[in-house]
Formats: sequence, structure tokens, C-alpha cells
Amino acid sequence: MEEQAIDPVIIVRNLSVAFGGRHVLAGLNLSLAGRGINVLLGRSGCGKTTLLRSLNRLNEELGGKTWGEAWIELHGEWMNILDKATNVHRLRQKVGMVFQSPNVLPVSIARNITLPLRLNTGCSKREAEHRMEAVLRQVHLWKEVNERLETSASELSGGQQQRLCLARTLALNPEILLLDEPTSSLDYKASQTIEALLRDLATDYTLVVVSHSLAQTRRLAKEIFIFEEGGETSRVQRVPREVDGIEEYVNSLL
Amino acid sequence: MRSAIILLSWICSLVFLAALVLLIFFLIHEGGKSLNLELIFGQAQILEALTGNAPVFKGLLPAMTGTLTLVLLAVGLAAPLGLGAGIYLALLARGRLKRYCNFCIDLLASIPSVVIGLFGFALILFLRRILPQDATTCLFLSAGCLGILILPYLVWAAQNGLDSLTAETRLIGPSLGLSLRQNLLHILLPLTSRPILGGIILATGRAAEDTAVILLTGAVANAGLPASLFHKFEALPFFIYYTAAEYRTPEELSQGFGACLILLALSASLFLLAIILEKGLTRAWKNKQ
Repeated sequence: MEEQAIDPVIIVRNLSVAFGGRHVLAGLNLSLAGRGINVLLGRSGCGKTTLLRSLNRLNEELGGKTWGEAWIELHGEWMNILDKATNVHRLRQKVGMVFQSPNVLPVSIARNITLPLRLNTGCSKREAEHRMEAVLRQVHLWKEVNERLETSASELSGGQQQRLCLARTLALNPEILLLDEPTSSLDYKASQTIEALLRDLATDYTLVVVSHSLAQTRRLAKEIFIFEEGGETSRVQRVPREVDGIEEYVNSLL
Repeated sequence: MRSAIILLSWICSLVFLAALVLLIFFLIHEGGKSLNLELIFGQAQILEALTGNAPVFKGLLPAMTGTLTLVLLAVGLAAPLGLGAGIYLALLARGRLKRYCNFCIDLLASIPSVVIGLFGFALILFLRRILPQDATTCLFLSAGCLGILILPYLVWAAQNGLDSLTAETRLIGPSLGLSLRQNLLHILLPLTSRPILGGIILATGRAAEDTAVILLTGAVANAGLPASLFHKFEALPFFIYYTAAEYRTPEELSQGFGACLILLALSASLFLLAIILEKGLTRAWKNKQ
């Protein structure tokens, strides 16, 4: 059992996830602090994405089975999200997710945000448009798209699409954001924009980011967690950000 | 090697195209001269025939109406079932149960249509014990049996369409807190409307052309306009079949070919209708506020 994060908002206890009888995570313990960017590192296939998807119970949609406890603090209240009584739809609005490659819908830029927003909240068209403008400004996309909100989102560049995905999630008023290698399909410049954006968001939201790059981790992370290889149970080691020569240290762990 | 493959694919496409053109040209050559209003309405006045006030003898109107009703009813009955089953298999069914279901669909698809016709015929004999004695083969029974015949195309269309979406696309809706119903209606089905349209076109074509099923379940040579869903009816493929088998004069044979052209035109109109409907729905989905 590793030490608890200071002021945690996510505490995972003895978490196991299996797909078709094969365990991807086994008996994982972890606690993540609020406000700021928690970066998860590890070799591919070690269960980073699965951990992320268990925090909004998305593994269930893919036929995964989950055991254990995952406590999350949402609007000041702690809840075990794996509890049967948990309202999954509400949970997923509060714990938003952005995927590895931008998955915008092939509809207009505006509708990408208003469609899920209005389905979830039932708000009026006018309210939805207000909210859309606010979140597009939040992700610094408003200036780039406000003239062409009705054009197809598929015409946007990769980086713009990823920011639109982020805006779509933000529109639902989340408290925690899960980001699965959000820049891995983007070029250098677009990645920089996204990273700057994530640093902005980190003041108001708790971010859990899976990353593939040490350099990026170093730029972003408040806390770094590394998935350890081997062993019966999944283990995650918390790495102090302040360690000198963190690259070598992380490399030695991986 | 590369140029050989390109050449081969060109040849294949051209052969396919040539076969289609040849077929249509042949039909027009043989049946074109009999294509006139008399072929459709016989000796009856057009307006009176269309309103059903005058019976149409020696015209194809009853068969056209029969086929149209039959196809719409069969697709109408099978589409909700088939698409629903496809959605279930793609999104909810897992493991062994899914394999069994898929095996059953494949099995259903491999049943010859004449066997399905025979099943319908036997069914009505059985039902006579429960229903009134005069229950007999009819339009509704034919449509039901055709529905079974085309069910696999619809299941496959929905299942393959949904399966072809990437996991990340399928997760868009759930990750934004949408329920299964919302995700299906507002995201997944609109995204798969193309393959589903393909399946419906295939099913429509199959229902329009099949002769063996209706032969045994209620199609007759002379019934006039279908009186109700529970009466016997005429249908174009049946007309073509018995004309080809029993024609006595060259004119009659030519009428058979004319009927082929009309059947083709009828199917093509239904395809067009389906395409327009899909385009309209997709546009509405993309632009709705």
C-alpha cells in the first residue's frame, strides 16, 4: 500500500478489471490529489487506459468486469462509484473523458457540443448556445471557429478537433477530467496548445492524464504515477516531481 | 504486378457493368414494344382503374399493387425485428450466446425460399385448427414469410454497421453520460444509416423478386386489386413466372418481358425512395439545432 496523496479526491482500493476472464488490472491501490495534473506513465498494455476508464465506469460498455472500490469526491461528497446505486450517466458527466484520437461527431461544430449538452440537461437552445460559446472560449477555440459554427467538425485540424472534444466534455460541468494520451495523435504545435490548455484547466479541475512522453510529463505533472511491471497485483508507484534527474529515475523504473 | 492488379480490377468492373447493361438492353429489346399503358391498365379507363372502380383485365396494375403492398409490408414487418436483433448482437450480446445467435441467422439465411414458402403453407393449414375454417393463404401470410426470408439481410446490416464503428466512436455517447437509448437514437444509428440503407435496399430487392415464397402462400394469376391483406393477390414475379411457363403467343411473351421492366422500375423507385429518406434523415441529424 503506497502512501496516500495529500488531500485526495480519488481513492482506488483493491481494484481489479477483467475482459473476458483476462485480468488487466489486479488489486490496484492508488490515491490521486485534487486540482492539478496527475500523470500516469507506464508501458503499453499495463492498464493505464483501463484504470482511466474504470474511473467513469466506461469499461462496462466494452464488456469489462470490475471489482474493488473506487471512491471519488464529487461536489464535496465521497461516493464509491462502483456501487450499484451510482447513477452512471451522472457520474460520466461529472468525470469527463477525452480520448487518444479526437472523436468528433461528423456533424457541425456547434452541434458537437449542443447535442450531448441538450440531451443531458434538456436546456433550451439559447442556453445551450451560451454554454457552447463559454466552453469554446475556455478551450481557446472560439476565435478560430465562431464564423463557421455550422460547418462540419470533421473539417477542423486534429488539434482543433481535440480541443472541441475537450469543450464538449467541459460543457457538461465536470469536476474531474480523464485524458487518455490526448496529444499522441497531434503534431508538435497542436500538442503545445493542448498542453498549455491543460495547465490552465488544472487550476479548476482535477486532471488525470495518461502520457507516453517523459518530456510532456515533466512539463505537466503535479504528481507522477508509474505502473510497475510484473507481479501478481498491479502496482503504481508515486514519484516525487522534485527528484533530480527524474528522467533517469523513471527510465530505471520502466 | 501492380499494373496487372489494376488491369484485372478494371476488367472485373467492366464485366460486371457489361452484364448489367446487357441484361437491361435485352429486357428492353424483348419487352420494350409491349410497354404501354395498355400493359398496365388493360382495357379499363386509367382513372377508374386507379380508383378501383373498374376491374383491370389483362393489365398489370393488380400485380403491381400486389407487389408494392407485399414489399412494403414485408420490409415493414422485418425491419424493426431485424434491425433490433442486429443492434442487440452488436452492442449487448456477448460470448457463447452471441455465437449461437449468429449461427442461427446464418442458418436462416441459407434456407431456400421455397422451403420458407412451404412453411407458410403448412402454417396456415395448422392455423385452420385455431382460426376460422376459411383462413387461407393470403397477402399477409406472404408478407410474413417474405419477412422471414429477408430478416438476415437486415440483421447483418445493423450488426456490421455498428461493428464497423471504432471503439472510441462507440464510447462517445456513454462517455458524455448518454443513456443507451440516447446513444442509439442520436449517435449510433445516424452514424450507421448508410449500411442500414444498404441492407434495406438488399431486402427490398429480395422481397420484390422472390417467387417461390408467394407461389405457395397466396399469389394467384387472377385476383384483381388486392381486396384486403387477407385475400389472395397478384404479384409481378408470379406473373412473369407463369407467362414464361405458359405463354401461347409472342405477344404474351413480350408482355412477360414488359412486366420484368416494370418490376425493375418498381424496385428502382423503392431504392430511390430509401436513398432519399436516408439522405433526408442524415441531413436533419447533421443540421438540427
